Amino acid sequence: MTGFRTALEVEARKARASWTMRVTGLLVALGIPAIVGAIIAAARGGGTPEARAQLLAKLGPDVVAADWHALVLASTQVTAAASVLAFGVAAAWLVGREFVDGTVPALFGLPVGRAAIASAKLVVHLCWALLVSVVLVVVLAVVGLVLGLGPLDADTTAGLARIVVLAALTALVSLAAAVVATLARSVLAGVAVAVVTIVTAQIWVFAGGGVWLPLASPALWAMHPGSVPAGALGLVVLFGAACAAVTVQAWRRLQLVR
Amino acid sequence: MTTTLLRLSGVGYLYRGGEGVRDVTLDVRAGEVHALVGLNGAGKSTLMKLVLGMLRAQHGTVEVLGADVPAAGPDVWASVGALVEHPLTYGELDGTTNLELAARLHGLARRDVPGAVRDVLEELDLDRYARVAVRRLSAGNTQRVGLAAALVHGPRLLVLDEPTNALDPAGIITLREALLRRAGDGAGVLVSSHHLDEVARIADRISVIAEGRMVGTLDPGGVDIERAFFATVHEAATA
Repeated sequence: MTGFRTALEVEARKARASWTMRVTGLLVALGIPAIVGAIIAAARGGGTPEARAQLLAKLGPDVVAADWHALVLASTQVTAAASVLAFGVAAAWLVGREFVDGTVPALFGLPVGRAAIASAKLVVHLCWALLVSVVLVVVLAVVGLVLGLGPLDADTTAGLARIVVLAALTALVSLAAAVVATLARSVLAGVAVAVVTIVTAQIWVFAGGGVWLPLASPALWAMHPGSVPAGALGLVVLFGAACAAVTVQAWRRLQLVR
Repeated sequence: MTTTLLRLSGVGYLYRGGEGVRDVTLDVRAGEVHALVGLNGAGKSTLMKLVLGMLRAQHGTVEVLGADVPAAGPDVWASVGALVEHPLTYGELDGTTNLELAARLHGLARRDVPGAVRDVLEELDLDRYARVAVRRLSAGNTQRVGLAAALVHGPRLLVLDEPTNALDPAGIITLREALLRRAGDGAGVLVSSHHLDEVARIADRISVIAEGRMVGTLDPGGVDIERAFFATVHEAATA
């Protein structure tokens, strides 16, 4: 692919300067621990019997236990939904901004091909998502320690590691937003795909739709690892690869017909 | 021997609705500025899009530096600089960073980038804005940064669509000098403009396009170029 390394260097520099990427990353890495920390603190804080009863009803007994298991469980649930939106927004913005900002004509007539530029954008997205998810679990661990949940045990470490994998798989799923942002030449169309992905996954899970839908299987696996076969996770990787291939091909064949 | 850097032969492209360009033949030789003038919607931008591969010609051939555009490789495009519709600039980045990225995307080696950026900043009188985010610049200075992005790698062929847009008189003179200097060094320039007086100052050849067809030429040294332009367009419309 012509000029991929140069394209990667350029796209990484653009992403570093992007407020969209910074703010979205911070909302995931700090926002999710803030929400989970507040839940655990509320569960540990006692309060009135009525308040505790409401918390128990909403979050279930596992979370109200307010231990490391509760922190990992709550974090997994929040990350499963929030990361779809955050990573979808980022994917849509990374590719869609060139159309919205009007810069896409300037990406023609260069020795660096548009397929290389699109590939670089997707690689930057996946690396950024992985970095954000690693920071997320580090902050979650710090929150647990600050809340006095005790030393990290093996189960907790494994649970936190699963959150990183969940986020990475979600980043692959979120590439659907890049496809639509490219085809529709719109950031908002990509964001809409992220929202639809969350809703679809939620309805699928509530309806007991099974573990083979790539939009839902990462979250189901992270919460109940034994219930999701490796093939279902492999399907997520295939889904992400297919989205990447469609996006790159669309950029390669791009024409600016008015 | 004169080297032809850009050649369009019998090129046609029609949008849905019937607008576009028909049977256009045009060339740009090394060391010359070839200006393309026409009214709004005449087809100037469409022609430039065809040159850069933003559109694929439905008829005829477009050759850049001797290569068919659909097959042109990185070596060809590394020798082309263009500003068509939007410059290669990003608002969140400052002028220097934008030019560094443009230089890399145009194929300059990393070690050659700082010197090239320094030179083009000086050439387009952009030094004082080098560390200002482009989104904070005036439209004219944003245009200068975009022109610098097209020039930074020392291209052999320049394709510029309305490059004087938003430029103040000083900017127009700076651009004029930059283009004439590069043409003097052997580069070929295809430039479209509405400013007939400005075109007359820099162009070696002026081609008139109307309703998607090349309808004539103007003498850059002519006495009343505006009258000649409208006469050519009118003649084509009534033929």
